[in-house]
Amino acid sequence: MTDHSTGPATRRRGALRGSLWLGLLALPAVAFFLVFSYAPMAGLVVAFKEFDISKGIFGSPWNGLDNFRYFFSSGDAGRILLNTLLLNVLFLAATLAAGVTLALMLNELRGRYFKRVAQSTIFFPYFVSPVVIAIMLQVLLSGPAGSGGAVNDALAGFGLPTVSWYTEPGPWPWILTAVKVWQLGGYMSVIFLAAITSIPEDVYEAGQIDGASRAQMAFRITLPLLKPTAAVLLVLGVGRIFYGDFGTIYAIVGDNGTLFPTTDVIDTYVFRSLRQIGDFGTTAAIGLFQSVVGFVLVATAVLIQRRYSKETSLL
Amino acid sequence: MPATSPAGLSRRGFLAASGGLSVAALLGLNGCGNSSTGSKGAPDTLTLLLPGDAPTGWDAVLAKVNEKLKQDLGFTIAPQFIAWSNYQQQSLLKFTAGDTFDTALQARWLNMIQLVASKSLVPVGDLIGKYPNLSKSLAPELLEQNKWKGKLYGIPQVNSAARFHHFTVRQDLADKLGIGEITAFDQLEKFWYDVKQKQKITPVGISSNMPKLLVAFAPVGWLNQHDWENPHVSVQTFSGGSFPFYLAQDGKTTGSAKPIPFWEAPGVVDALRRVRKYYLDGIINKDALNVDSSTIGAQFESGRIASRWAMTDGLSSQSLAPLRKAVPSAQIANVVPIRGGKNAKPNQTFQADNFVVLNVKGQSNERALQLEDWVSIKENHDLISYGVEGKDWKPVGTDKFEQLSQYGFPGYALCWRQTLEKKIKDITPTEEAWFDWAQDYDNFTVDPYASFVPDVTPVKRQDSQVSAAMTQYGNPLWIGAVDVDKGLDALRKAVDKAGLADLHAELEKQANAYLKGE
Repeated sequence: MTDHSTGPATRRRGALRGSLWLGLLALPAVAFFLVFSYAPMAGLVVAFKEFDISKGIFGSPWNGLDNFRYFFSSGDAGRILLNTLLLNVLFLAATLAAGVTLALMLNELRGRYFKRVAQSTIFFPYFVSPVVIAIMLQVLLSGPAGSGGAVNDALAGFGLPTVSWYTEPGPWPWILTAVKVWQLGGYMSVIFLAAITSIPEDVYEAGQIDGASRAQMAFRITLPLLKPTAAVLLVLGVGRIFYGDFGTIYAIVGDNGTLFPTTDVIDTYVFRSLRQIGDFGTTAAIGLFQSVVGFVLVATAVLIQRRYSKETSLL
Repeated sequence: MPATSPAGLSRRGFLAASGGLSVAALLGLNGCGNSSTGSKGAPDTLTLLLPGDAPTGWDAVLAKVNEKLKQDLGFTIAPQFIAWSNYQQQSLLKFTAGDTFDTALQARWLNMIQLVASKSLVPVGDLIGKYPNLSKSLAPELLEQNKWKGKLYGIPQVNSAARFHHFTVRQDLADKLGIGEITAFDQLEKFWYDVKQKQKITPVGISSNMPKLLVAFAPVGWLNQHDWENPHVSVQTFSGGSFPFYLAQDGKTTGSAKPIPFWEAPGVVDALRRVRKYYLDGIINKDALNVDSSTIGAQFESGRIASRWAMTDGLSSQSLAPLRKAVPSAQIANVVPIRGGKNAKPNQTFQADNFVVLNVKGQSNERALQLEDWVSIKENHDLISYGVEGKDWKPVGTDKFEQLSQYGFPGYALCWRQTLEKKIKDITPTEEAWFDWAQDYDNFTVDPYASFVPDVTPVKRQDSQVSAAMTQYGNPLWIGAVDVDKGLDALRKAVDKAGLADLHAELEKQANAYLKGE
């Protein structure tokens, strides 16, 4: 006699019921992404419209690619794209290098309490708001009424000429990079330190048996084994390479036009355009362009990583 | 046997419970969304956009205002203060994003031209008559002069007939340096250089929202000596931060406005070179592109700046009390270095510098107008303008008041009424004299383009790009941060590429049509 209760149809029903509950479990996440990530994409239609507030997004007339032409015919596009790429490459390279270096140094510290204090101290700038950083920088570089500042005082102390930092665009990529390293070096080092702790102890023991010095162990064992972590951070960074670090750059530079030649990035340009012009169409077009190029870059980075280092690939 | 969790819950049970909780959470969130939407009826609270920082003691005054408003009209207000350095951009952004705030301060020098063009403002001309206190407090001439193409787009906020920018200076320093009373631009310049040399403080304080009024502005550029000696220029832009064109003064007789780019106007390039010299010599603060107006105000009141911008609105003297806390012997004076002094009859459009505008997307335009009517009643006007009587201020005579606290509301953003305003008790003699001068229409020449407001719609895109170029190349040039020849060259190239020729042609067309009465 066949037991129908355990037959294939019943199992299918059971599986279906299980899937249903699983589906329900996923529902909030799906709803979240639908509402906050996918539904707003409908607004991208503004990029192809002559936006008129009285007619709304969908009532405004279409204008083809006019909004894209605005950006590319402004004469600013080349400079902004170059700044965005250059600054982000600088930020990424400098923060990764600083993170690895600090992690190696912290790993070599033996005093437990000193290590903790040092780690907390270098991690602290991660929590400092860009606005506070901007004020600190003003004190260092500018001073009262825009002339002076601690850096200029130091330069003058060495008999060097002082610099009007807020009207000289040249040094700003390096100033901003130094700020990023100060801000993110400690954060990155914690990630690398976590990776170092996962390196099996017997690898180091083998190194010791072979007579490796501490420096040799750091450079021949620790550093190579940090490569996968660095690769993942690099891919994540490349994915965001088309997004200028808006918070920090805007808080520091603001609407100071003299610094735009080296500091204006896509995000600050979009924000300024929207604030000053109030033209949603143009800014949406630039934002869409930024997203598409960002997507292409991250896809390319992941594919390259898959080809050369499949074991650490994100996909 | 079903898989069982360590807690004894079956896998199916766990899934069912989690799924149920998920749905409940979703429904809960949905419920939250509904409850925050609020009812569709008249709003209980109006939202107002105000510039600057909330005044000291604001919470106590607002509580009284709301208590009285609730009693009188059945609603309250929740003003949002936006820092001056961001006000122009943020208020525009809020309009374009379709925010449902009810009123905002707007002006031609802010975003009013774009907002009128985009139909974001409620025309109020025909509505004001329905509100007796409001219409009684606004002169018919005022309403007439502020119409654009026959329509009034905001409630003018004025406390005088004309508005004329000038300087507040540290008179104690001028006396100490042997300069005495300053009446001409040359004397003012000497004062600045002497201050720089002998006092070691910043002679002129400029904030990041000022560059556009320093050189090419009507009827005088603030640091343009030529204009102070010939205060008869008409300058027009398509929008607040856009490119300034000078229009012909004889347009009414020739029928042609002949707009020219600002750099072709007499005295402008000289003024740019002068400002550059001031910048290099440390006469003006080198952080002008980064510092906001409240910081400049605070620096003036702490005795670190010798002169700053002023308007004929009777408000400069309010700085004296805080300044004296830092420098007990301080004295201030209002300096209008105009050739001919009070007989100069400079150009004047008589248009209000500030308007309370109603947002077409506001919750209730009717209640917004009720509010403007309510603040036109003397008792309410005084409460919001000067604070709680006896605590924040007390009356002195019939037209003055003594400030008892630090409370100071930006009346021009909500409740300036020429007939209701009081002067501060300690108003300096120079300020009072210039304030009185600004009350009389006969002291001015009517600008030939007094009610001409260019419509930006046909050249919106070019104007946007030109405005962006002005931020990048114009502002550093205005404050003297770049070499004049190089800066002008860079600006010319940028605005040419951005479509200056189109703006020029369109302005000429519209200005000529205006002269013909079209």
